[in-house]
Order: sequence, then structure tokens, then C-alpha cells
Amino acid sequence: MIQIIYHIIVLYLTIHLVWFIVREKKFWDQLSGMIVLIIFLLRLFLIK
Amino acid sequence: MKKHHLRAILLLLLTVLACSFSGLDFLNMHEEEALFPSPHLTAKKKLSDYFPGLKNSPGDSSVYIFEGQMRGGTLLILGGTHPNEPAGFITAVLLVENLALKQGKVIIVPRANNSGFMHNDPQEGNPQRYSLDTPGGTRWFRYGSRLTNPIHQWPDPVLYVNPAGQKLSGTESRNLNRCYPGRKSGYLTEKIAYGIMRLINDEKIDLAIDLHEAAPEYPVINAIVFHENSAELAAIALMTLQMEGVDIRLEASPPNLRGLSHREWGDFAKTRAILLETANTSHGRLKGKPSASLIIEGRDKNYQKAAQLGRLFVPFDENGIPLKQRVSRHLASIIALISGLYELHPDLPIQLANLPSPAEVRQVGIGPFLKPLK
Repeated sequence: MIQIIYHIIVLYLTIHLVWFIVREKKFWDQLSGMIVLIIFLLRLFLIK
Repeated sequence: MKKHHLRAILLLLLTVLACSFSGLDFLNMHEEEALFPSPHLTAKKKLSDYFPGLKNSPGDSSVYIFEGQMRGGTLLILGGTHPNEPAGFITAVLLVENLALKQGKVIIVPRANNSGFMHNDPQEGNPQRYSLDTPGGTRWFRYGSRLTNPIHQWPDPVLYVNPAGQKLSGTESRNLNRCYPGRKSGYLTEKIAYGIMRLINDEKIDLAIDLHEAAPEYPVINAIVFHENSAELAAIALMTLQMEGVDIRLEASPPNLRGLSHREWGDFAKTRAILLETANTSHGRLKGKPSASLIIEGRDKNYQKAAQLGRLFVPFDENGIPLKQRVSRHLASIIALISGLYELHPDLPIQLANLPSPAEVRQVGIGPFLKPLK
């Protein structure tokens, strides 16, 4: 159960990160978001 | 489409690319190295044959069984309890690929914590694998982590109360050598420990040896750690080894340090429990750049300096402590323990054959005794 909750949290934050990158106007902030997104995606798909 | 939207699409595509690249690299660690068992192997089982709860899980592992024609004692050898301690794993591989048995039974589990081999420790910069030259070509072996892969067991509790009742930090719930005697319905690591306990009970193991390594600055090093039921056996092995010129010390298993193999195997399975430690430079905190050659050659300038300052518990010079020396030490200790077991219990003979001698391994290395790639 706790794993499902954890997964939902990671998915929620991942969606927020994608949305942030899309609406953000500053390049460097978009790039920072991208770096964080990589880690979240690797966790979401249980790769690392 | 606005400019920043276009840039976002490009960055998201880059994200997918970076995830694919790094993801493939991480998933590459799930690939297991090839092992070529000796023709004298009697049976190959899985840990899940002893505890079905491990079936199809990353904690399941191969169990190699050698039986002699004459009955005798039964020995269990565990390598890879901590997959970042390569001498234990390689000693187990060397045995699996060479052993023939005249008398008794030997059971070997090279990857005791199989999940720990499928990742390595973040921010350590350790290589994912190292290679050994054999007469038939180069063979690679996995360098893993001390702990179970968090992909397979997560999240860690803040405080971990192990099956023996000891309170530990949360990450220790993924340390196989803190999870004995295991739990049937617990964490994956506890299930592995439970499977090993079932193996010990079902196979009526007379002597169980857990192969480890530790950093040269750690006090329990080049040591035989023994359960009190094996004190005499460990003392005999120590004398044999010292007569052969192998400098080794004895460490009694502390009764209040719970969850470890040398404690719980003896307490719960009533088997003679021994843990062997060698000094691994690549494992230590003082090391320089981690690399495959550090694992194999064990040479490091920082450790040389530390030895000069008297900070280490083992001698360390410019020759380092190579893998072949550490494997040779494990091999010599196993042979001495088997001989000690026979001395104390003549009804439990185990006669090994076809093995390289520890001196040969120390001299020419491990590669010449490993099977060529098929």
C-alpha cells in the first residue's frame, strides 16, 4: 500500500514538472526542471 | 507556437533521450555474469526450492550442490552476501567451477543477495563490473552494492527492528547480514534470509561459512568470526592457517549483536557458524579513485599513507592487497575449517578434490582456474 502511495506522489510531481517546463519562459529554469525530471522518471519507471 | 513552448518540447525530448541512455545503463546491471559449473556438479537448485516465497523475485538465487560418493559432513558456503565484497563472490565462483567432491556434501550460493548485484551505491563512482583474464578470454563479474536494490525493496523504514529484535537504522533492512533469521512474510531481504535459514535446516548443514570483506581500516579484518558453538573449530583453523603463514585472527560473535549470520545461524539453526573477512581496498573510505583495477589489484596510495601512519589493521604496502591474495586467503580458511571439522568430528568428513591450492591462486591469480567463455 505504502508503495502505491509513494508511486502516486512521484507521478503527481512528475506531471507538475512537465507542466512547469512547458509554461516556464526562462531557459535556465526550464533546463533545471529537465534535470530534476530525469531523476523522477527513472524512479517512476523503477529503473533507479 | 510560442518560443518557450518549442524549447520545452525540445527539452522534453532531451529528457526522454537522457532517461533512455541512463536507464539502459542501469538496467544493464540486471544482466548476470556467466558461470560454468564443474562437471562434477551434482545438482543446481534455486533458493526458492527451499522457500517458494522467493520464486520469480529478484531475491531468488542459484544454489550449486556437490555430493561425494561417500557420505560425510555437509558444508554451506555463501558468497555475495554483500555484492561489493568481491573476494567472497569470486571464491564461491572458483569453487563452483572447479570443485569435485570425494566425500560429504558442499552447497554453494555465490550470489546470496542477488538483488544487491543489480545496482551499485549512488555517489560512490564504483564500476559496474570488473574483468579477469582466463586462458579462454576475458570474463566480467558484477560489482554490486552492500544492500538490496531499493527498486526491489522500498521505502526503507526510519528505524528497522530486525527479526532477531535488534533496532537498527532503516537502510539496514536491506542488509542481508542484519536480517537473519529472516521473516517469511517480511521485506525481500528478510525473505532471502529466511530462505537461507530454510536451506540450512533442510540440508542439515554441519558447517556454514559466510564469505565477506571489509575496509582495511575496519578492526574486524583478516579474521574468522565464530559463533560460540564453533569456538574450538575456529581455534584449530587459526592454528592451521598460522602454521601455513596466513596471518589471521579470531573474533567471537557478540551475543548482543543480532541479525548477523555468525549469530543467528548458530542460535536458530544450531549449525556451526563462521564468517570470514579479508581486507578490500575498494571497499574502504580512504581510497582514491574507484576503478576495476582497484578491485583487482588493491593498490592505493592513500592506504599506503594510512598504513605508514599506523591507521590500518592489516599490513599495506605498495603491492596493495590484490583480489588473488584475498581469494587465496578465503580458500585457505575454508580448507582449514573443513580439516578442523574432521579433527573434532571424524564422523563429518568432507574431502575436496580438483581445487587449486591457495598458494597457486596467490601466485598465478584466479583467471587460470576459471572456465573459458563458451
